[in-house]
Amino acid sequence: MFEKYRHIIPDFESFLKAVETPQPYWFRVNTIKIGEKELVSRLSDKGFVLERFRDLNAYKIVSMPVKHPGATLEHSFGYYYVQDISSMVPALVLDPKPGELVLDMAAAPGSKTTLMAALMKNEGSIVANDTRASRLRALGSNVERLGVTNVMITKGDARTMDFKHLYDKILLDAPCSGEGVIRKNPKHGIPGDKEHRYFSQLQKSLIKNAWKHLDTGSKLVYSTCTFNPIENEDVVQYAVSKLGMEILQVEFPVPHVRGVSFWEGRDYSDISDYVMRIYPHLLNTGGMFIAVLEKR
Amino acid sequence: MQYLKKDDYRNYFRDVFGISEDILKKYHFYETSSSVWAYTGDAAPLSEAEVVGVRALRVRNITKPTTSFLRIIGKYATKNVVFIDDEQGSSFLSGESLIGVCQSLKGYVVVRTASDVLGCGLCRNGILISQVPKKYRPDITWL
Repeated sequence: MFEKYRHIIPDFESFLKAVETPQPYWFRVNTIKIGEKELVSRLSDKGFVLERFRDLNAYKIVSMPVKHPGATLEHSFGYYYVQDISSMVPALVLDPKPGELVLDMAAAPGSKTTLMAALMKNEGSIVANDTRASRLRALGSNVERLGVTNVMITKGDARTMDFKHLYDKILLDAPCSGEGVIRKNPKHGIPGDKEHRYFSQLQKSLIKNAWKHLDTGSKLVYSTCTFNPIENEDVVQYAVSKLGMEILQVEFPVPHVRGVSFWEGRDYSDISDYVMRIYPHLLNTGGMFIAVLEKR
Repeated sequence: MQYLKKDDYRNYFRDVFGISEDILKKYHFYETSSSVWAYTGDAAPLSEAEVVGVRALRVRNITKPTTSFLRIIGKYATKNVVFIDDEQGSSFLSGESLIGVCQSLKGYVVVRTASDVLGCGLCRNGILISQVPKKYRPDITWL
């Protein structure tokens, strides 16, 4: 499945080995409801062995006395959210502040929305949008469980929807072919070129509508959980060359590599040094692509 | 959906649960046909919004607080609070009624243990009836 990426993924054999092994669980403490120290102490008392990543609110579950990390009262009370550290990075890079107006264009099931709300201390506003009713139910249920009160949830096609404001920050964690979540979902089908092209078109429509809703000088984080450059660098290059956005350097202390410069005859060297690719073998996580853009 | 701003609902939480104005002032309350939503955002709710903040009350026939909102503000309640121990807490969360824990109380109460707010209960004839929604009821395998 991944052979076509041999020349763009560094240490490819380690990558292959990583994607064939189950992915460890990570979580973050929901600081809206409880302090990190208290939750860690409660879970440790119950027999969880946890490993914190540097100074981030991100904990790897080394071992646990339950089958699933969500099978605790603390989870039901909304004290933590099971989320891979790679999936936390887009929201942490966007770095929303209390008081800002933020749009999360493809928000369900709400892992990044609820993280942003915690960073904003439930102040300011987040418009969290998604398309399908079933996905919105999951989003609503997570917002409620985590006690997030600064979010409004909308249902609409984010390619064309009028979100009624110019936003301080936008997160576009775009629908994608999902190659980076294969460890969590080994039954995930193998995406073909047709699928990558379909998602790429969709992602370009989404980023165009995101651009329309940004204030001048405002920031957009574009992310996917897939590896194919057509869904990543190609979309970012479109935003730079066709929409006139400025690409900013992403810096974040989670192991990563820079973007792909050349792919199937396309040259992305103008933007590849700015973006960030997280591969499963770098920190034993899922995969993620992250770019930061600013509206001129 | 029409969201009608009605901050008077702060009075409900002040009068019923003794929660201070200082805590309540950060919430704006919006009424729809059958619910009241507690919202701390600055931007006014979009008419397209399906959810605004957290549902705080159901108001169709009677006014009933939700477990999800009491889990946010219940720790500040000074009135109509029932403290139970962890074993009783497990039964309450599983949907069981408890006898002998709310003799002097009547109506909706905040139910909590020493460490956690468990949710909404109803005291009737000295019996505490769990109002915790099924989705929050623990499985037997949970810790």
